[in-house]
Amino acid sequence: MIIEIKGLKKAFGDNEVLHGVDLSVKEKEVVVIIGPSGSGKSTLLRCINYLEKPTGGSVTVDGINLDSDANINKVREEVGMVFQRFNLFPHMTVLKNITLAPMKVKHIAQDEAEEMARKLLERVGLKDKIDAYPEQLSGGQQQRVAIARALAMKPKIMLFDEPTSALDPEMVKEVLNVMKALAEGGMTMVVVTHEMGFAREVGDRVLFVDDGMIVEQGTPDDVFNHPKESRTKTFLSQIL
Amino acid sequence: MEFNFDLALRSMPLLLMGAVVTVKITALSVALGIVIGLFVGIARISSIRIIRILAAIYVDFLRGTPLLVQIFLIYFALPVVTGIHMDPFIAAIASCSINSGAYVAEIFRAGIQSIDEGQMEAGRSLGMTWAQTMRYIIVPQAFKRVIPPLGNEFIALLKDSSLVSVIGFEELTRRGQLVIARTYGSLEIWVCVALIYLAMTITISRFVAYLERRNKTVDNRD
Repeated sequence: MIIEIKGLKKAFGDNEVLHGVDLSVKEKEVVVIIGPSGSGKSTLLRCINYLEKPTGGSVTVDGINLDSDANINKVREEVGMVFQRFNLFPHMTVLKNITLAPMKVKHIAQDEAEEMARKLLERVGLKDKIDAYPEQLSGGQQQRVAIARALAMKPKIMLFDEPTSALDPEMVKEVLNVMKALAEGGMTMVVVTHEMGFAREVGDRVLFVDDGMIVEQGTPDDVFNHPKESRTKTFLSQIL
Repeated sequence: MEFNFDLALRSMPLLLMGAVVTVKITALSVALGIVIGLFVGIARISSIRIIRILAAIYVDFLRGTPLLVQIFLIYFALPVVTGIHMDPFIAAIASCSINSGAYVAEIFRAGIQSIDEGQMEAGRSLGMTWAQTMRYIIVPQAFKRVIPPLGNEFIALLKDSSLVSVIGFEELTRRGQLVIARTYGSLEIWVCVALIYLAMTITISRFVAYLERRNKTVDNRD
């Protein structure tokens, strides 16, 4: 298991948003997390790379138990994260956005990092935007750059936190296509999303999270076509 | 009484020499103040409590006491403790930059806190340390945002540097006093001194406005 979560609890002050979650993710598995807003699904994802500090339980990523800042940067090199609001660095070109972390963290030479950036941009279909600044790009293009930026660290796992929720509808597809290609290439992925089409088509496993717990999980067919729990049924009836 | 233009004109070279010294103190204090302010400003939002407290004490003390008193403390009181005579130039630079550092710290703190949290998260999730993310991601963006308040601070510092005249340091204001002691031309000299300060502050504010404009058009991609 590349990700092993046991009894994960997370509270913000008195408000506990995760009440003991267990989750194991296999290598090359694509796990899609769905659920209503405020259910704790993003928090669960953010605990995997320690952006949120668990208040109970354990998270182990690639054999490393996340328990302090000491080992966290090492783990984060192997866990890419894509955010809802892209979070590109606005003061840097697309190229610099992608090459910064490999050069500063992994000490890769500039020309090598730039060569890698070019290849990644080609992969996400943005070769001609290499010298653009983020504000000159559409939302969909920015998100694809953000994916390229995360991939530049050669992560073993990619986390996606509602990657298409801030996009105009016509741009959703270009981002999902990149993610789909990534999944087909064998990347281990954990994706929080409201895109049920993507969950169905690309997910190996779908988790329905509500009120800080995994209510139901299974193959996309299990969860979407034969949900067992009433909360899952209610949720699906509202969104499908 | 009549304004003696001849006296004003004759005194100009001496006053301008004082103005050069004022510019020198201000420039050095600005540079040191930025360095101090950057570190203290970051310390103010450190996750380590004791560092946060020390930085807050620094800022409170220096903003809560008059610069004039701080100059006296450094020039007169400190040598009593250390036994080392203070050079007026060192004392002037030290008091101005330590004082300015406190104001600059607050400017930087606000600037850093105005940067979207997602920037720090993006940097950290790429495996960069907190310090690396600060250095390459947060501070460069914050710097652009704080140019206007920094400009105001430096104009204030240029004017406040007149206070170091009290320790006999011959900057513009002190020069003015010395010239008046010889010529009794209070009216002419103080008018000239004021105009020279005005020329300098207007120059700075124009320069800051230019920087701000340039940032907006060229690289404030925010």
